Order: sequence, then C-alpha cells, then structure tokens
Amino acid sequence: MIDRIALVAARELRAERRQPDGVVAAVTFIAVLVLLESLVVGPQIARDADVASALFWLALAFATILATMRSFDRELEDDALEGLVALPGGRDALFGGKVLSLAVVLVLVAAIGGLLSLVLLDLPVALPLHLLVVVLLGVVALPPIVVVDVVLALRLRARAALVPILALPVLVPQLVAATRGTSAALTGDALGALSWAGLLFAFAVVYTVVGLTIVPAAIE
Amino acid sequence: MIETTIPRGTPLPRIRPWLGIAAAASFVVASAMALFWAPTDAVQGDVYRILYVHVPLAWLAYLAFVVVFLASVAWLWTKRPFFDAVAVASAEIGVLFTGLFLVAGSIWAKPTWGVWWTWEPRLVTTAIMFVMYVGYLLLRGLSTDFSRRATRAAVFGIVAVIDVPIVHLSVLWANSLHQLPTVLRIAGSPALDTPMLVTLMVSLGAYTLVYAYFMSARVSLELARQGRLWTRT
Repeated sequence: MIDRIALVAARELRAERRQPDGVVAAVTFIAVLVLLESLVVGPQIARDADVASALFWLALAFATILATMRSFDRELEDDALEGLVALPGGRDALFGGKVLSLAVVLVLVAAIGGLLSLVLLDLPVALPLHLLVVVLLGVVALPPIVVVDVVLALRLRARAALVPILALPVLVPQLVAATRGTSAALTGDALGALSWAGLLFAFAVVYTVVGLTIVPAAIE
Repeated sequence: MIETTIPRGTPLPRIRPWLGIAAAASFVVASAMALFWAPTDAVQGDVYRILYVHVPLAWLAYLAFVVVFLASVAWLWTKRPFFDAVAVASAEIGVLFTGLFLVAGSIWAKPTWGVWWTWEPRLVTTAIMFVMYVGYLLLRGLSTDFSRRATRAAVFGIVAVIDVPIVHLSVLWANSLHQLPTVLRIAGSPALDTPMLVTLMVSLGAYTLVYAYFMSARVSLELARQGRLWTRT
C-alpha cells in the first residue's frame, strides 16, 4: 500500500514539475493576497501577527483548493483517472498519493508565500523553529479534507463553486489552529505554538484515516 | 434489484398518524407549560422563556446531523436506498431546525446581550454547521445519478459530523458570551429550578416527536420518489 501511494505521489510530483501550473497559480494567488492585504487594511493592521497569520492561512486554504482541483483536472484531461482507479488498490493509492504529493507541493507554496509575507510585511519572528513546525503541520492538515471534497465534486457542474463551499467549513478547526499557532510563534508564545501544532497533527491523522477509509468508495 | 420501499416489517406508515397526533399534543402541552407554568427567571424575567424553544431546536439540530452520519455509514455499508432516504430527510430537517435555532438564538441575544449577532464561538460554529449541511444538500442537488449521489453525500455526511461536538463544546473551549451548559454539566446536577427543568424536558420530548413525525413523512416521500425514478429508468 505504502509503495503504491509513493508511486502515485511520485507520478503526481513529476507531472507538477513538467507542468507546474498548480504551484504557479497557488503562489501567485498568495502573493496577490499579501499585497492586497496591506493595501486594503493599511500596513499597520496588516503587520499585526493575528491578521497576517489569518490571511496567510486563508490564502493557503484557497491555494490548496486551486492546486487540488488542477491536479484532478489534469487526470480528467488525460483520461488517466479510470486507469489509475482500475489498478489493484488504486483508489486508496489515489487518495494517499494525492494527499502526499499535495502536501509536498504546499510546503513549497507555503515556503514562498511565507517568505513573501515576512519580507513584504516586515514581520518579526520570535520563534522561527516553532513557526516551522506549525507551518509544516498546518500544511499536512489541509490536503486530506480538500482531496475528499474535490473527489466528491468530481465531474459535477458548478464544481469550482461547490468545492470551497464544502471544504472551507470543514477546514475551520484546522485554519483556527494554524492561525493561532502561527501567531503564537510570531509573538514568542512557545507553549501556545506547540499546543496548536499538536492539534493540527491530530486533525491531519484523523482526516487522513477517515479519507483512506471512506474516500475509495466515492471514487468512481 | 434495488429495494426502494420501506423495509418489510417497518410500522412507519401505520404509526405516522398517531405520531403526528402525539407530536401536536405534546407540542401544545410543552408550549403551555413554557408560557404559563414555568416560573419567571429572577435575572432575565420572561425573556428567558425562549429557552424552551432554543434548547430543543439545538438538540434537534445535533440529533438530525448525527442521524445523517449514522444513515450515511449504513448506506456505505449496505447500499440500501432506505438509508439514503433517512440521510436526506434528516439533513433537510436538520438544516431547517439549525436555521430556526440561529433565529431563536438571535432573538434571545438582543435583549440579553444587546445585539442580534456577535462573533462568539457558539454562534459562529453553529452558523458554520448550517452552511456545511446546506453544502451537503447542494452536493446532492448537483448529482444526477442516484447511486453516485448517495455515495458522495454519505462520504460528506460522515466528514461533516465532526462539527457537532465542536459546536457543543465551543462554549467550554473558548471564553465566550454564551452561557455554559446548564443541564449536562460536568460539575454535577442541572443548574435549573425543578419546574424549569421539567418544562425543558417536556419541550425536548415534544420537539423530538415533531422531528420523528417530520422524518417519517419525509422518508416516505423520498422512498416514493426513488420508486418513481427506478420505474422510469
């Protein structure tokens, strides 16, 4: 099973490297939002740790949706989904592989988007290591839910509107935890940052297990 | 062959009229007790009587979405359309009662907190739960194939249920304006006067009967609709 998941993830990452439109779209989206934020609310409010963290994670949630939808669009355009699902254990591997590859892609997106936020907003970071842990776990906690919702909305009309409606309310606990954890790391609250990071880890594990258990039934 | 009728041996059609009568009668009794029998609250006065509507609506919202979860698991397990009918019926009724729960809460908030709406964890998580199940109904509405629709909705029904404990426990997890639980308290017995508690329990029973009646009617309608769909195809 692990081998098959790794195979799908590697294939996905190869496709993303050859045609990196998912990553480019996600990074551009975050950059636009960071720039807009300081213009709309003013640099003083934009530099507030809570505001900057909230916007970063909301942008990353939308970026995850964009990247996931692009990833499945590529499968549909190439008629590759049927072949993948037909393989033994293909459905589990498809879910696991997509989640894994998206997490890797999102680490890249979060690194670029995070650096942009830090530089453009001139944010001071009190606990860099804690920030890294929170961001890594936050990035791992987002893809399982988004992949589930993109699979559910596959081949439906109004899919672009439906996926955010389904995914964002379910992502609320992860977004709250990631925002609070990031803000705590920026302002020097080590215990707060690690507590929220622990919650993010728990959500990542729960939704990955739930996804691996029930999503294969939804892939047709 | 897909079974699209009420499972054999289910007394649902026979008991529905009686369920309707019991729901209506208990609703009248609960309303009379709430308005005339329960004592006036020492702090809030008569305004607090909305409690006898607000709390049962909250209970029904939770109950409805837990039933969606259980029916979704049962559909994925057995693929019997009866369970999909139960899930859609409970989701629709749950959305209705969650909407009413939010409205009743808002009406209660104005005289007690001074605002119709405030960014308070219980209110926001309840609104998110409402949107989540509107999304569930949207997902169903956009799918055309019966089996795929039921499966997609079931998966989402299982994922979405996690919001129910989040809504309930949000008042404990965050400092909020909303009062802490008064009946199901970790600290011990309910923090309510006996006549108030009795009235609340009668209201909870009455609203649960209303839910059961709505469910029996909506499940029958859904099964009839499924039956027509299968006859046509």
